[in-house]
Amino acid sequence: MAEYWGIKVEDIFNTMKDRFRPEGATGVTGSFGYDIAGEGKWKVSVYNGSLAAVEKIDNLTGCASVMSSDGETFVGVNAGKVDGTNAFMGGKIKVEGDMAAFGKTSKMFRKFVIKKKEMTVRDYLLDMFGTVESRFKADAAEGLDVIYGFDLGGDQGGKWSVFIKDKTCRVVTGIEGKPNAIIQLGDAKDYVDMILGKNDANSLLAAGRGAVIGDLNLAMKWGDYFDKYVDPMGGGVQEQELIVLKKTISVNQRFASGPIMGKFLNGLKEKKILANKCPKCGRMQLPPREMCAMCRVRVDDFVEVGPKGQVRYMEYVYYSSPDPLTGEARETPYGMVMVLLDGCKGNDVFMHLIRRDQIDQIKGGRNEKPGTRVRPVWNDKRVGSIFDINYFEIDE
Amino acid sequence: MAHRKKNRHVAIIGIGQTKFSSHREDVNQPEMIHEAVSLALKDAGLTMKDIECVIHGNMELFEMIHQPDLWHTLGTGAEGKDCIRITTGGTVGITLACASDNLVASGMYDIVMAIGFEKLQEGNTTGGITNMADPLWFRNLQTGALTGSKAYEFITEFGEDRSKRASLMYRVIMDKHAGLNPNAHRSFGLEFDQIDDLIKSSPKLIGDLKLIEMCSQSDGACCVIFACEKKAKELSKKPVWIRDHITVHREEIFQIFGYDDAYPVMQTHRFAAENLYKRNGITNPTDYFDVFEMYDPASWWAVDWLRDFFQLKGDEHIKLVEDKEIMIGGKIPVNPSGGVIASNPIGATALVRVAEAALQIRGDAGAHQIPKPVRHALASGFGGTLWTVLMMLEKELNW
Repeated sequence: MAEYWGIKVEDIFNTMKDRFRPEGATGVTGSFGYDIAGEGKWKVSVYNGSLAAVEKIDNLTGCASVMSSDGETFVGVNAGKVDGTNAFMGGKIKVEGDMAAFGKTSKMFRKFVIKKKEMTVRDYLLDMFGTVESRFKADAAEGLDVIYGFDLGGDQGGKWSVFIKDKTCRVVTGIEGKPNAIIQLGDAKDYVDMILGKNDANSLLAAGRGAVIGDLNLAMKWGDYFDKYVDPMGGGVQEQELIVLKKTISVNQRFASGPIMGKFLNGLKEKKILANKCPKCGRMQLPPREMCAMCRVRVDDFVEVGPKGQVRYMEYVYYSSPDPLTGEARETPYGMVMVLLDGCKGNDVFMHLIRRDQIDQIKGGRNEKPGTRVRPVWNDKRVGSIFDINYFEIDE
Repeated sequence: MAHRKKNRHVAIIGIGQTKFSSHREDVNQPEMIHEAVSLALKDAGLTMKDIECVIHGNMELFEMIHQPDLWHTLGTGAEGKDCIRITTGGTVGITLACASDNLVASGMYDIVMAIGFEKLQEGNTTGGITNMADPLWFRNLQTGALTGSKAYEFITEFGEDRSKRASLMYRVIMDKHAGLNPNAHRSFGLEFDQIDDLIKSSPKLIGDLKLIEMCSQSDGACCVIFACEKKAKELSKKPVWIRDHITVHREEIFQIFGYDDAYPVMQTHRFAAENLYKRNGITNPTDYFDVFEMYDPASWWAVDWLRDFFQLKGDEHIKLVEDKEIMIGGKIPVNPSGGVIASNPIGATALVRVAEAALQIRGDAGAHQIPKPVRHALASGFGGTLWTVLMMLEKELNW
C-alpha cells in the first residue's frame, strides 16, 4: 500500500470512527461508497446520524453515492493537502449517484491530522488536567464552592483535585480536602476516551467501570463549568489572529404592485390570467407591464389568455439554488417552464414551475413545432400572488 | 462614423490586480482593495496625491454592505478626494472604465482611479442576483445566474456531440490560459484528452450546463488609473489608449433567446458590436483585433458569444474553438488571462477584462502574453438579463 505524506489510504478509513462528527450527520441515513484506484473499495454507512460501519468491501451497490479517485488525491483531500473542490472540478475526484448525499460526507468527519507523535494515556492526562484552569468558565460558576476529586487507576493513572471557589479554579495533584464528588475509574484510559468523546460517562457507570462517590449531579455538571478539552492531535491550530463572523440576515419587505400588476394579481384570485397587449407591436406581456419597453408606449389593453398552453422551454434544475425568499435550498431536480399560453404568440411566454414528478416528460416547442400541453393547478387559497397557481401540469 | 463627441484622448497608465481566490480571510475588504490600489500606483509611478477622483464599484447586495466606499476609504485612499460610486451588476467593472474615460475626456479630471472589487465569500451571490428580478413575480422562480437555455439553444442548432465538445474544448483552453496567470483563481491542469470524460462526469447544474463549465465565485480587487493625453504622455512610457466604448441595455425580462425564428429577440452583444464597429470603420473584427478579453461566465455562452462579438456566421465561431484559434498563439486569442470562468470577483471582473487587454497591448502580461505584437484589443462586460459593454483599446493614437 502506497503512502502519501506518510499516510496510507486505509489510515483515512480506519480513523473515521474517531473523526466522526455526529453534529455534521444529523438526520442522515445511507451508505457512501469510496473506490480508490489500486487500493480497494470502502463502504461507509450512517444510520440515523450515527456512524454504523466502515467496511472494506468488493461491491458498492446500494450506496447513495460512490466517489472515485486515486490514492494520492483521496489522502491529500482528507489530510488537507489537496483542495477538494479543485480536485473535483478538475476531474480527479468523480462522484456517481446522489451528489447532494455525497456533499454531506464532507461535514461528517473532522480532517485527518498527521500525528507528530503518539500521545500516551499519561500524556493526555497531564494535558487534560494541565489545561483545566485555562478552560474554567468563571461566569458559569457564580456562587459555587466545591471540590472535584479524580481517582484514575491503572499504570498510567493518577489523582487530582479541582477546587472551585469565588469564581476561581485551582488544580492540585492528589485527593485534597473533602471533595463533594470523586470520579473514580478503574482504568485511566476510559477517562481519556470519555473526555475525547470516544466513550460516555453513562455507559462507563452502567458497565461498572467507573463510579461517582458523593454528589452525582455535581459530577455530571462538569461540562457546564469548563470549556471542552481540545485534542491536540485532532484539531487544527489557528495560525493568525483572524476571526470570521457569521451572520444570517432576515428582513421584512413590502412591495407595491401598482395598478397594472395589481389587476393581474387580482385576476389570479378569479383563476384568470390577464396579459396586456402592446397597441403598437401587438406582443402580450406576462406578467403585464405599464409600458412596452421596445415601443415606448403605454399598454392599457388587457386580454385574458390561457389558462392552458404549451411549453416552449424548461430549465431542468439539478443544483439546489436557495429560494431567495426563505434561504432554504429547494428540492431538486425541479423544472421552471416557459409556457406559451393559448392566445399568446412568439416569445410571449409565461414562466412558472412544472409538477415535479413530470419534469422528465416535458418537451419544449420550437418554431411551428408545439411543446407539451400544460394546464395550471390552482391553489385553493388564492391571495393575489404568484403561488395562486401551485404549478403547471401536463394536460392530456 | 467614429465617436466624434470625445473632447480629448484618454489612456490607461496604471494597473493593479490582487490574486483571485476562493477565500481571502487573511484580509478584510479595505485591506484587499489596498493591495490593488498600491500595485496600480506603483505601476503608474504615482502617489495618491496625483489622483483627482476615485470611482468605486461593486454590488452592495452581494456583501450586504451599504455605502462600502465609506468603509473602503481606508484602502482606496479617497480621503478628501472626489469619489463616485457605481453599481451596474456584472458589467460594473467595465462601467467603471467607461465612466473614468468619460470623466477624463470631458475635462473634469486629468487623472482618475477606478477600483472594482468583490469578496463573494462574505455574502450570498445567488441571493443577491435573484434580487434583480421583479419582486412580485419572477424573483420567486428564477435560478440566480444559472441557466441551461444557452446549452439547449446550442445543441438544438449544432447537435449534441459537437456542441458539448465545443463547450468543453473552450473550458480546457481557458484552464490552460489560467495556468499561465498567477492571479487566476481556478487552474485545474485540465487536458484536452479529458474532454469526453468531463462531459460525462462533471455534475449538471441546470440542463446541460455543468459545474466545470460555470465560472467560480472569487474574492479580489482590480485598480486601473486613467489619464488625459497630456498627462499620459508625460507620466507613462506605455500608455494604452481608449478608442471607444458602447453600452447597450434592454428590458429586464428573462426570456432572452427566443423560441421562434419568426420572432427574433434582440441580442445585445451582436447589436453592441455591430454599432461599435460601424462607427469605427471596422469591417472584419477577427482581422482587426489582436486579442479579446471577454466576460465569459460559462463556456456555453462564451462559444456562442464569439459569434456575436466577432460578427461571425454559421459555425465559424465553433471552428475558431475547435481549431484552437482562440488559444494564446492562435489567430485571435481570447482571454489569455483564463477569463471569468477562471476568476470571478464580480465587481472587479469586467475591469480585469480592460486591465488584461491593456497589459497585452503593453506587452506586460508575463507568462500569458500572446506571442505577437498587440496593437488593437477588445474587452467586454456582461450583466443582468443581457446587458453589454464593449471597449476598444489601442497601442497607437492613430485612428
